[in-house]
Amino acid sequence: MAASQSYGPRPWTFYVLATLFTLFVIFLYGPMIAILVLSFQGPSASLVFPLREPSLMWFDELFSPRRTGDVVGAFNRSMPLAIIVMFLTVLISVTAGFAFRRRFLGSSLIFYTAIASLIVPGLVLSIGLLVTFRFFGIPAAWYSSALGAHLSWTLPFGLLIMFAVLGRLNPSYEEAAHDLGASRWQSVKSVVIPIVFPGMIAVALFGFTLSYDEFPRSWLTVGSRNTLPLEIWTMTTNVTSPALYALGTVTTVVSFAVIALALGSIIIIQRRRAGRK
Amino acid sequence: MSTVAANSMAPASGEIRLVNLTKTFGASNAVENINLTIPHGSYCCLLGPSGCGKTTILRMIAGHETPTSGEIYIGSDMVVGKPPVERGTAMMFQSYALFPHLTILDNVAFYLKMRNVGKEERRAKAEEMLKRVQLHALKDRMPAQLSGGQQQRVALARSLITNPKVLLLDEPLSALDEFLRLRMRGELKSLQNELGITFVHVTHTQPEAIALANMVVVMDTGRIDQADTANVIFNRPTTPYVARFMGGQNVLTGAVNGKADGRIKLKGANGAVFEAAMKEPTPAEGAPLSFAVRRDRIKLRKNRDVKAATATNEIKGVVESTEYQGSYVKVTIDLGGGVFVANLPDGDYFADPVDKGDAVIATWNTADVNILAKVDSGVAGDPYLNANH
Repeated sequence: MAASQSYGPRPWTFYVLATLFTLFVIFLYGPMIAILVLSFQGPSASLVFPLREPSLMWFDELFSPRRTGDVVGAFNRSMPLAIIVMFLTVLISVTAGFAFRRRFLGSSLIFYTAIASLIVPGLVLSIGLLVTFRFFGIPAAWYSSALGAHLSWTLPFGLLIMFAVLGRLNPSYEEAAHDLGASRWQSVKSVVIPIVFPGMIAVALFGFTLSYDEFPRSWLTVGSRNTLPLEIWTMTTNVTSPALYALGTVTTVVSFAVIALALGSIIIIQRRRAGRK
Repeated sequence: MSTVAANSMAPASGEIRLVNLTKTFGASNAVENINLTIPHGSYCCLLGPSGCGKTTILRMIAGHETPTSGEIYIGSDMVVGKPPVERGTAMMFQSYALFPHLTILDNVAFYLKMRNVGKEERRAKAEEMLKRVQLHALKDRMPAQLSGGQQQRVALARSLITNPKVLLLDEPLSALDEFLRLRMRGELKSLQNELGITFVHVTHTQPEAIALANMVVVMDTGRIDQADTANVIFNRPTTPYVARFMGGQNVLTGAVNGKADGRIKLKGANGAVFEAAMKEPTPAEGAPLSFAVRRDRIKLRKNRDVKAATATNEIKGVVESTEYQGSYVKVTIDLGGGVFVANLPDGDYFADPVDKGDAVIATWNTADVNILAKVDSGVAGDPYLNANH
């Protein structure tokens, strides 16, 4: 690279930091890759390397629950929960973000109250939530108490992202829209929302992934039927087959697909704005 | 296209009248009790340093800011409380505020879309407007793909499609480089001539105001110091502030020391004697009086006898610096308590050049003396006191 030439030879610190970073990346992705590989174990194989007679049998096992737990059922709860959490997070964060653009009485108090649930331990919060739901006689389930517990986790993130996005939004866009005869609603619909849309996708992504793999806030609040992270945890205690790895692979692929979808749409929007269609 | 403009301006007047207009932000007055009438069809520049309230006035006319008190009339309508479209104003923002997610064509058609004009019709009208600003070829581009000058023209087209009586421009040229600025300046002027509507243009650049406006309003911290034609503002500033802000002027102060033959004699510092034509109201004997003399009306000669007393309209000093400006040379003279500037034609200067450290005498004619309505307070904190612009 021309840049490195103009700065002379690389100092020894470069190699130290490069090694450190490589180790970090291995530490980060090594276990995931190991699980990915081991999920293709053959019938005779154990839970450890080496990989013998590669097959897809553990994936098959996963979706026909004979020995493993109710993975499909857990997925069918986790997915809708994550999607509902995603929509509610976007809706509430965006509207709250708009509200916070103007200072109002008690705005900082409300802001810090919303952010505080990031600090409260998830388990403690879940206990409180469960007790409250019991008190009101509402049975704990993924669509009631768990939904609330998840929102307490995703909303602060969504709110912070929307603050950053709307903070960068130049108010003259709205004034220009107003100047050109747009009503308040028209300027939100035709100008503000399209401009901040990439930020809304980021909020959606956070809402989905945080909910999809949430454990501590789900544990006490889902009621009698598990979500996917809880199901996996249960399996680690009583399933001793590579089906566990297959499950890990499947959930990772789902997460990656969601992230790719979100980032892909952000990139497409930005490309279009820059005119490279 | 010019027929469209003619139709739009025929019935409605674009005269703007500000009556006792005040805007307060918190405890500070951004605009203080302004009274101003901008005639229909004029090109008016609101000129002043940043923070003087000029943009606030523009935004109040546009309807993006609500006055704390006072009235704004456009034509015969009191417009305070009305939305921008009902005022017949259109504003061009400093950053242009082109919508980044819409093509050039859709940006220009935005106003028509908000009025529920059908897609075909609004696109056709927007294309027509784009042709007028010579950007028709770029109609499918996104704003980010355009240069600053092109973006400005799109912003103009987007404003003009509303058929405004008044076009409000917030520092429209500040984002452009020098070359483009001069070109767009010319285009704005000819556009205003062609449309015949009122332009109100906010700027902090004196040459821009002088080149464009047939009415210049010089502002200072929420007040209007002087509002007049560019020529009067430049040649006959009424206050030391305007004289300094417009540049090209020297401000001196003396005490009235005799009045005779329609002339006032003034006694300045260091034994200098000045003379000015009599002006109403007649100043009291001994009262301080400030006046301005244009830099390019000053003549310089070397001071061979430093001890000698100066004649009328002469001032002694030492050359602090010389700066070649092409057609003239700017000579800055230290008066020993103040700075005085002479802009000498390059021919005169090079015939007998002076240099840093030379003792000189500056002279001028009584006819070039312009008495100011306010006495120069010599204000510390006036950024234009040393007039290095």
